[in-house]
Amino acid sequence: MSSQIPAYAQERLKGLRSSAHSTGVFTSDFSVNEFLLVRKAGFEPIGLCVGTCVYHVGIQYGSWKKNEELQVLSKAMYHARELAMARMRAEAQAMNADGIVGVKLTIKRLEWDENLLEFIAIGTGVVHGDGHKGFRAHDGGPFTSDLSGQDFWSLLHSGYRPVEMVMGSCVYHVAHRGMFAAMGSTGQNVELENFTSAMYEAREIAIERMQHEASAAKAEGVVGVDIHEGSHGWQTHVIEFFAIGTAVLPLDQEIAPEKIADPIMVLSVND
Amino acid sequence: MGLFDWLKQGSDPETQAAKEASVQRQADIQQSLRGGRVPSDIATRLEQARTGKQPWIATLTPAELLIARSQGLKPIAAISATCWLHYGWSWTQGHAQGWEAALQRLRAEARACGANAVVDVKMRSIALAVEDSMDFTLVGTAVKVDGLPPSDQPIIATVPALEFVKLLAADIVPTGIAIGAHYEWMTDWRNGAKMTWMGNAESRPLSQLWETVRQRAHAELRKHAASQGNGVLAHINFSQMFEREVDKQPTQYLGRHIVVATVVDVPRTHGSQEYGRSGDTVSAQEFKMVVDIHAGKTPLTGTTRHHQAYYSNDEEGAI
Repeated sequence: MSSQIPAYAQERLKGLRSSAHSTGVFTSDFSVNEFLLVRKAGFEPIGLCVGTCVYHVGIQYGSWKKNEELQVLSKAMYHARELAMARMRAEAQAMNADGIVGVKLTIKRLEWDENLLEFIAIGTGVVHGDGHKGFRAHDGGPFTSDLSGQDFWSLLHSGYRPVEMVMGSCVYHVAHRGMFAAMGSTGQNVELENFTSAMYEAREIAIERMQHEASAAKAEGVVGVDIHEGSHGWQTHVIEFFAIGTAVLPLDQEIAPEKIADPIMVLSVND
Repeated sequence: MGLFDWLKQGSDPETQAAKEASVQRQADIQQSLRGGRVPSDIATRLEQARTGKQPWIATLTPAELLIARSQGLKPIAAISATCWLHYGWSWTQGHAQGWEAALQRLRAEARACGANAVVDVKMRSIALAVEDSMDFTLVGTAVKVDGLPPSDQPIIATVPALEFVKLLAADIVPTGIAIGAHYEWMTDWRNGAKMTWMGNAESRPLSQLWETVRQRAHAELRKHAASQGNGVLAHINFSQMFEREVDKQPTQYLGRHIVVATVVDVPRTHGSQEYGRSGDTVSAQEFKMVVDIHAGKTPLTGTTRHHQAYYSNDEEGAI
């Protein structure tokens, strides 16, 4: 399904503005400021790209006294996000976009079944105003990024271009401590080493996975990385570690620091 | 995915191998941390980031990256450190211990990737309340400065990249985190804190308790900061007071106070007009009025809260 776009979606995509259809309408969820800066960066929005995936997450229990990754859940969280993103990217490809900016990736729990999660990826497809194709990802398809219009502009000005949104996920079961262990440490401040190492391992797995995606996309670095923990209605000791960011490559060549304008102190007249 | 897949898991060799690898990895993490070293998997990743074999990773937003690049800073890796502490003896002191341990570990990771500084360090804690314990986690971006050799003691800055650059421009170096924590029990022998039938009056015993607790916490903060720099900024103040009633005994009160702050090193030139030179460099710059092209919060201070561990009562502010 991810490569085939339904007929009604194709109809919608056809109505969008593009080089072949200059009288079409563009759609975007840009704010005014974002729109101005995306244009300033030399890009034009063409249309919103959407990808969605309703996923039934399998069941897996961690053993009570063990730190371990719950691979069934890890894979589910990762696979579902990947499906939603791929579908969004297919839409962008169909409208011949050079990239997608401002991707928002959200997860919603469907209320009638606790194992059903809805993953939505939505962003604005953009094309380079002069038809420069050098901004596309390494596979010739559109780049993806969760950067806002402002971030997009800033990134280009710091000498980099976005390549791909990269992520790593690890759903982890943190061991419960036995009664005996708890009694033994009453009256002292002690480090709970097994908890510490659980955090270390889970976070490391998530970061390594994200970094692996970035190197597969032939990127030089990853910006705007957010490493956070979340729980999607699992047992109390089950946590998802999630790392997400935008993989970047230098523009034709890296800009030397001296070439980047020094920041100016300003007094904002915004609120 | 079959209905009973989860029952079968663990039987195939691949899962089995992954489980064994995980056990080994955890043993290595525990041993390394005990010895004050960076766990080997992380050390490998950081080494690859240092030599450019793997993409660099930055928690900075593109706007922050732009500012950082303009000052010759280059991101190397996202680094983090955790200490999960059980406070059996003292909750309050546990906070000082926990952050301090995490800080040392973060510094070790920074050293392992050849950094000069760690910027955008966020203090985090996961919402998993387990048996009187808490995790103290620091996440930040290790950076190197163009043309500088790797540092022995990388700077740990709990401020966003923008503020880091602002401080450096004013000749001020943010050097680390200082913590002051103190708690005290007060036994109210004379029942002085019970004021049911009184009019407007100060509760002297409780005032005094607070004063002692806060003063001691701040004294600790100064002591801790003095080893790293000569000033602190950006306080987080956290305080709580509890009453404990015990049958046929006087009521007891517990006051506790934690302050966490960014330590800075400000150059001091005594007894000349040069004193306050750094202030002049800031005010000498011309200020321009602008309309900034951003909607909502500025992207220059990151996307997530810098201190998320104490947000429960931080609206009270400093005393």
